[in-house]
Amino acid sequence: MQKTIKLAVAAGVLSLTAVGALPAADIQGSIVIKRRLTKRRVTAPVSAYERGVTVELGSAPERDFLAFERSRVAVYLEGQYQNQPVTAILEQKNRQFVTDTLVVPAGSTVSFPNRDPIFHNVFSLSKPKTFDLGNYPKDQTRTVNFPKPGIVFVNCHLHPNMTAAIVVAPNQWCTRADGAGRFTLRDVPPGAYTVVAWHRAAGFFRQAVKVAKDHASAVEFIIPLDETGDPKDMARR
Amino acid sequence: MRFATRTFLWSFVPFVILLLGSFWAIQKLVEHTVRDGLRTSLRQTHVSVARARANSELQNSRFLKILGENPSLKAGLQLLLAAPKSGEARRTVEYQLREICEKLGFDFLLVSNPDGAALAGVMRVGEQLVGMDIARLRPPQQGFTTVGERSYQVVSTPIDEGDENIGILSVGEPFDFSAFTTPAVLAHRGKVLKSSIPGIPLEEVEAALQPCRDQAECEVRLRGETYISLPMDSISFGEGYVLRSLQSIDAASGPVQGILRNVFGIAGFGALLATVIVSILSAQSIVQPIRAVVAHLKESEGTGLLPEFQARPGRIQEIRELSESFNRAAAAIREARQNLHRAYVEFVGSLASALDARDRYTAGHSRRVSELSCAIARAMHLAPQELEDIRIGALLHDIGKIGIGDSVLQKPGKLTNEEFALVQQHPTIGRRILEGVQGFQDYLSIVELHHENWNGTGYPWGLRAEATPLGARIVHVADAYDAMTSDRPYRRGMSLEQAIHVLRQYAGTQFDPTIVPLFVNLMAFVQESPSAAVSGRVHVLPRAVNDANDA
Repeated sequence: MQKTIKLAVAAGVLSLTAVGALPAADIQGSIVIKRRLTKRRVTAPVSAYERGVTVELGSAPERDFLAFERSRVAVYLEGQYQNQPVTAILEQKNRQFVTDTLVVPAGSTVSFPNRDPIFHNVFSLSKPKTFDLGNYPKDQTRTVNFPKPGIVFVNCHLHPNMTAAIVVAPNQWCTRADGAGRFTLRDVPPGAYTVVAWHRAAGFFRQAVKVAKDHASAVEFIIPLDETGDPKDMARR
Repeated sequence: MRFATRTFLWSFVPFVILLLGSFWAIQKLVEHTVRDGLRTSLRQTHVSVARARANSELQNSRFLKILGENPSLKAGLQLLLAAPKSGEARRTVEYQLREICEKLGFDFLLVSNPDGAALAGVMRVGEQLVGMDIARLRPPQQGFTTVGERSYQVVSTPIDEGDENIGILSVGEPFDFSAFTTPAVLAHRGKVLKSSIPGIPLEEVEAALQPCRDQAECEVRLRGETYISLPMDSISFGEGYVLRSLQSIDAASGPVQGILRNVFGIAGFGALLATVIVSILSAQSIVQPIRAVVAHLKESEGTGLLPEFQARPGRIQEIRELSESFNRAAAAIREARQNLHRAYVEFVGSLASALDARDRYTAGHSRRVSELSCAIARAMHLAPQELEDIRIGALLHDIGKIGIGDSVLQKPGKLTNEEFALVQQHPTIGRRILEGVQGFQDYLSIVELHHENWNGTGYPWGLRAEATPLGARIVHVADAYDAMTSDRPYRRGMSLEQAIHVLRQYAGTQFDPTIVPLFVNLMAFVQESPSAAVSGRVHVLPRAVNDANDA
């Protein structure tokens, strides 16, 4: 079993002293995941219930489970930098949160519209933000502001299988990898940074990166997780 | 009723009654045994069903307890309690229930408020789980409910939030009679909810079970079949619910009864046949001797004689006694008859004597004519009965002369034509006199016709030849001979030879030409006998004729 985490630095590191005035560069990265991390379960879609069709519950058939895993990785820069809060939407649809992994900068506001013909009761008990939106029916929504950075897990009282993670990043440079594992943090001022990758099952991964002027930096996260090991421990090393 | 029939019935009927009685008793016994067996098997079914049920109930109650603690279900219930009118809230809970049903394989799940009013529920219809129409179904929290084809046995558990009861969760276990090897019926206060008796509608079962309502064990008639029904009291199904299992007595006892019927059919038929034969034989054995006696009596009825029974050594004492007493009676009757006959003959004789005694010249005439006629008849080998008829007929042949006055009969000298015509009436008068006397019919022809001539010149009818009966012809000859040889007031009697001469002369005209030579022969034999004096010839003659015959 491979217990080491290789952090390969594929690009040069730039000085970060003159942020803003200096021309910025992108950090381009890729996520490499070699095995399944999440055990997903099927939730019968509401429409199926409406039609009265029985849905077989159990392990979900995944066409490309590694793509799924890669797209569930949140990436952001660690530390207080320039911030630009946004407004995001986290829907409840077919008794699932859509999307299940949301990445927003701190101070953003998230709306939780209910798209199902049934009630939902969205709440969170996570440290960065605790809230309970109460029961509300279809086409109603509630909004929550997330001023503190951190990982906020969102659940539904009525539907225990509904869960989502909101990654509240400390600054505006935050994103999600795509299915191929690629991500880009755009217009980062030159300097030295720590790039953090987070996966719900695997935990945090950090890599130092130097951003040079007019020169895109590259970073690669290999998440060879051992399911028996503690991912946090492994990330710390 | 005939004696044979009576005897037959007396021996046959008790046998049949005995046979039918034993058949009935054995059938009852078998039925009783079968019924006991059925009862035992029903009880055993009950015990095994109860055991299986107790297990599943324990399991269900555990499931229920856990389900009642489901936090999201609690949240759903609270939502529903807060917004009872909201279709979305109801649907939210329905989806939760549906998910539980799918995960745990339940078919019927229901939540109610603490007062027991149903709020939301799902149930399986076909393969699908659908929301319950609470308003229409009014599902109970306890007991049974039947939806469409399915029946559910519903059990409930409270849903508590902290110390507060917020509602009731009810699970319906599909209820069917698969555990029962016998037909079963589920009823609630007399109303049949479900029945596994094939092909009989619930209403009919309900009507049949009506008398059983308060009874533990009872018999039910359904479509002509008898069932024994036992309520299952080892499990409580809730207030007012009774589960009865049934077992067809007819179906169970049918094969045994069939065998019994066969055995009894064959044995009974054999015994019946034997009884019939034995009865007939015994009837015959009793009746046969009696019938013989009766036949004997019938025979005597025909002949008018009472013959004695052959002294057969009869084995039956009664019959022997009967024959003996009959024989005694017959002998007594015969004796009486002989006495009567004797008296009658004596009477006839005295009548003839009285007639003859009117005139000394004709004294003994009737007796002599009788004896002569008998001699002729004997010579002709006539039957004894004919002989007897001739003897008496001859004795009475001139009885009609009673009706003719002495002046004519005893007139000396020739009769005038009128007088002669008067005399010629005596055969007709004689017939008239004797006609009224019972038992004299056989002599009438002799009395009436003893003056008919062979050539038809006689009186009263002028019959010819053999138209005149033989007896009358014989008496005619004898009468003529005796008349000729007897003295008359107006003349002396002819000699024997002269008389024979006259007879010969008129044979074929007045007399039967076959009788005359016979008579002449007889007379010739008498004449030759030295002891044949005129005075004694009357007595001698029969003996002489007998001797002649013997010779």
